[in-house]
Amino acid sequence: MIHSRAQLKKDLLGWLWVSPWVIGFLAFLAAPMAMSLYYSFTDYPLLEGPVWIGLGNWQRMLTDEVFHAAILRTAWYAILFIPIATAMALVIAALLNEKVKAGGFFQAAVFIPTLVPMAGSAMIWLWMLNGEYGLINQSIHAAFGWAGIEGPNWLQNSKWAMPSILMISLWSIGQMVVVYLAALKEVPDELLEAGALDGMGPIRRFFNITLPMISPVILFNIITLMIGSLQVFAIPYVLSAATPGNDPRAMYFFTSSMYDNAFRYNQMGYASAQAWLQLLITLGLTAIMFAASKKLVHYRA
Amino acid sequence: MVLGGVGFAAFGPRGAKEDGRGRVVLDYWEKWTGHEAAAMKKIVDAFNQSQDRIVVRYLTTSGIDQKTLITIAAGDPPDVVGLWAYLVPVFAESDSLIPLDELDTKGEVRVERYATGFRELMTHRDSKGKTRQWATMNTGGTLAVYYNKAHFREVGLDPEKPPRTIEEFDAAHRKLVKRDADGSLTRAGFMHIEPGWWSWIWVFQFGGGVYDAASDRSIIGAPEAVAAYEWMQSYSKELGVDATKKFRAGFGNYDSPLNAFLTGRLSMVIQGPWLANVINAHGPKDANGKPLIDYGVMPAPVIPSLVDPRNPVGLVEGDVLVIPKGCKHPKEAMEFIAFTQRQEHVEALSLAHYKSSTLAVSSEKFLREHPNTGVRVFDAVAQSTQGFRYPRTQAWTQFKDELDGMAQRMWSLDQPAKEMLATVQARTQSYLDRAEEQRNLRGRSIRGGRA
Repeated sequence: MIHSRAQLKKDLLGWLWVSPWVIGFLAFLAAPMAMSLYYSFTDYPLLEGPVWIGLGNWQRMLTDEVFHAAILRTAWYAILFIPIATAMALVIAALLNEKVKAGGFFQAAVFIPTLVPMAGSAMIWLWMLNGEYGLINQSIHAAFGWAGIEGPNWLQNSKWAMPSILMISLWSIGQMVVVYLAALKEVPDELLEAGALDGMGPIRRFFNITLPMISPVILFNIITLMIGSLQVFAIPYVLSAATPGNDPRAMYFFTSSMYDNAFRYNQMGYASAQAWLQLLITLGLTAIMFAASKKLVHYRA
Repeated sequence: MVLGGVGFAAFGPRGAKEDGRGRVVLDYWEKWTGHEAAAMKKIVDAFNQSQDRIVVRYLTTSGIDQKTLITIAAGDPPDVVGLWAYLVPVFAESDSLIPLDELDTKGEVRVERYATGFRELMTHRDSKGKTRQWATMNTGGTLAVYYNKAHFREVGLDPEKPPRTIEEFDAAHRKLVKRDADGSLTRAGFMHIEPGWWSWIWVFQFGGGVYDAASDRSIIGAPEAVAAYEWMQSYSKELGVDATKKFRAGFGNYDSPLNAFLTGRLSMVIQGPWLANVINAHGPKDANGKPLIDYGVMPAPVIPSLVDPRNPVGLVEGDVLVIPKGCKHPKEAMEFIAFTQRQEHVEALSLAHYKSSTLAVSSEKFLREHPNTGVRVFDAVAQSTQGFRYPRTQAWTQFKDELDGMAQRMWSLDQPAKEMLATVQARTQSYLDRAEEQRNLRGRSIRGGRA
């Protein structure tokens, strides 16, 4: 009895300590998620109460052309961004892993852009990418203007909207580089030395030893990149709003559609269904990645 | 700690509804910043000093439409909100505002007090289909074309006789275009998509519209609209799509010295009366600080059959004051609103905002002292029987997004105007149908139950 009372007190104390998180989880995550699941089956214009419409919102997603285009654009973004960002981050991490002078400076230089808020970053790039006065086009003009090569109208030409957004997103891969760098430092030197003794060159050592050794980290980074890509919002939103003369639809992504439906078009029910679709797609793709990783990812025993 | 937090959330302090001296506290949210916000603050201060029963707390905030929406949904809105007039239908159809005709017992803000063009902006049907007055105008905004008189003189145009018809406007534009030696644009007469905030208004200059309220139908594919957008495309063809994109990349923000009208890159631009403030603030000035841009204002050009100097065609829009449903002190809120609508306050605010008055009759002093030399043109648009407004439908935000995107593709000559308009008509109609479905679900169809 005494023992169980003491145990109960201990349990209660434990719950008390974790209660801020539990309350926060229930109030700000679990309850809103449950409510949004309910709303996804309703017509809910916010100013009036929700009306049950069953699968109406889900059926509407099948015929919403603007939403389809936004999904396709988001898919393209993810398809392009994930491999490019992964390759770039790996290469930069590999370079930073070499013992070079002022290595700390380069690490800081790569990481600092991740500290800039997304909206601020978009505003900086808005000027960098200005078709006439932007730093990038001015540089292209200075370097290649003699040959008649000029930079494109990055933000006002809808064909260049995606490359612009990719470029801005790639500016902020510092966090991923740091994770890769930490993983590279964990690769046992003896394995690399053994590979060298066996006659492997640096490239073969990288692909046959380093890459398998850091593959769990690559998987983690790819999954977080995929989630981030599906949720891309702030950069295209700011760029689109602040660029006169662009086609707003050229920078319209999955989350843009969700935001507009929820807060501009007063269709919270439809936006909730979109949010749940996004979650289901994310879960599905994550599951596929985990399934594929069984053969591709090497976990140390 | 946890109990304290829960207790604070449940029973903690709320926004005080009575100050220490027993006065009723009203919360008034407004969207303006800078000098526009300061001008309204003076009126709030004057109200607070004028009596001892009510005190207004004035808060300027961004995203006011979304915040108002959420606070009404949550049941705890401010007492008075300054919204954009085009949002009135969204709030009115769901009875989310308190009708002013219920509260305005003295008739201080009745719609007849206001200029013809503004009256419709204050009214809309309620959830039962009855037309009510939901708002008063706070400031008005009509559109007209500013033109640079020096540029006109330079190319042999008479600045005192600006173009009135589309044809005359085209001729003026062509004369005003300038290119440098390599053919790059250095000046354009006019570009429909600069600034592009009202991309769809040209349809009205051709006698058409974008939305038929009687049938709740999108009419953006009608012949008048096709003519208007073909007209827009003719400018793009003449100036060159790539050339204008490169040219526009050099335009700065509206409220900056790099504004294309201020830098002389555009000789004519469609804008509201507020542009005069930007000209005075950021435009080039002489040694005595006097603005150097010699500008004139003319009504936007129309097809010959619509030319009527007394009734120019132009967009009439504005800011409104509303009392949200859930307001704790609607009578006091009405009293404050009525105070703001006294002629001296309306004119003081309009002067500070560089806008024309919203009232049916403006004082001669107001017109004489107005810092915008073209104020009489803006006033004429407000008083005109040919003024038009944003379509009064709750689907307008989505509808407009579609039109704005189309305008850019139209300018880029992605498709012939007629084809693009047919597609956009179908899509915008689907937004209207969707709004009708929402009404049907709540038993208040405006098409007799047919979506």
